[in-house]
Amino acid sequence: MKAQQLKIEIKDVPGNDSVAILHFSGDLVAESVKRINECFENIITKSKHYAIADMTAVTLISSAALGEFMGCRKRLIEHGGDLVFTGLNIELRTKLNLMGATKIFKVHTDLRTALNAYKWEIQRQPEKIHISFPPFLKVVPPLRQLVSRIARQKGYGNRDAFRIETIVDEICNNAVEHGKSGPGEMIDLTVTIDPDKIEIDVKNMSDPEKVPALTALLVPDDPEKIIVKPDMKRGRGLSLIKMLSDELSVDCTEKGTSVHVKKVREE
Amino acid sequence: MESQIELSFEDIRGKQSAKLIRFIGDLDATTIDFVLKEVPSLFNEGINNIVADFKQLRYVNSTGLGILLYFSKTAKKNGGCFKIANINENVYEIIEIIGATTLLEIYDDLDEAIAALH
Repeated sequence: MKAQQLKIEIKDVPGNDSVAILHFSGDLVAESVKRINECFENIITKSKHYAIADMTAVTLISSAALGEFMGCRKRLIEHGGDLVFTGLNIELRTKLNLMGATKIFKVHTDLRTALNAYKWEIQRQPEKIHISFPPFLKVVPPLRQLVSRIARQKGYGNRDAFRIETIVDEICNNAVEHGKSGPGEMIDLTVTIDPDKIEIDVKNMSDPEKVPALTALLVPDDPEKIIVKPDMKRGRGLSLIKMLSDELSVDCTEKGTSVHVKKVREE
Repeated sequence: MESQIELSFEDIRGKQSAKLIRFIGDLDATTIDFVLKEVPSLFNEGINNIVADFKQLRYVNSTGLGILLYFSKTAKKNGGCFKIANINENVYEIIEIIGATTLLEIYDDLDEAIAALH
């Protein structure tokens, strides 16, 4: 059977000068090796060191072609980049699995996922989630669990994820308890996460009657001296946040309250 | 998902005025009302020696910790005790950070906690 003709299309990614998307189509066989090599030479010359090989339209990958991809990947890595695959059909993916190639190459399901992985792992770009919620305690558990799950999904360890869950819980509970309540009142939760840290911001309207009690809680504690007595009813939440986070700032006025927490990834 | 908590109560063989309570779920601001309704009713019945099994307690926050301290204080005031066993690592860390490990009676396992009952 005659091999299907190889086509390679190189595309830039707007805003990401060091990334190239290589759309391959047809059969990647021994005769394709030279063209694959030239294609990678081309992108390396243009200082594009992170290559996403889109294999959606590829029908066959021979061991010779795979070997060439390994060599090209090595060159990209030497320039601080990488070569990843996307769009592999089940047959090709199984073949690559059997050849042990999926232990070497990262394989993404689609282009979007591959680009997001680049932004996250290489550019270490943060991702932001914003949620507005009404000031009800029952809304807080699903929110804290959501943020914790996101952290886990982003590769944070269980211990970090649990600490993040606790921080979100305590800040949001404080906002519900000390903030203004009533129809139309909302609390804003913003989570900014990158591979190294998570930042949590909570903003709400203040209840003027509760501001003095809240500001009284903000007297700086020496974290080493937090000793809780059984009948102590207030302030444990903030103490806990202080101990679990790397930065905590609270701005409380009669108009509004904003809390900012930074937690550095530990595992 | 909203957080939930379940409590199951069991007698402790050979121990008078004692109960084992298994906590299952999350102990937070939304579940303390239920716990505050169930546990103090034991004190009202004269059961002041309590062993709390935290094996399936996934989460506790500062509010939840507050009621654990309250139970411990009340049991002691009534001449009894409130002992906790099988705490998971994450929950223990929260108790430790708050500085409550010296205020609560914490045991590695149930047998040890039950053996320490009066």
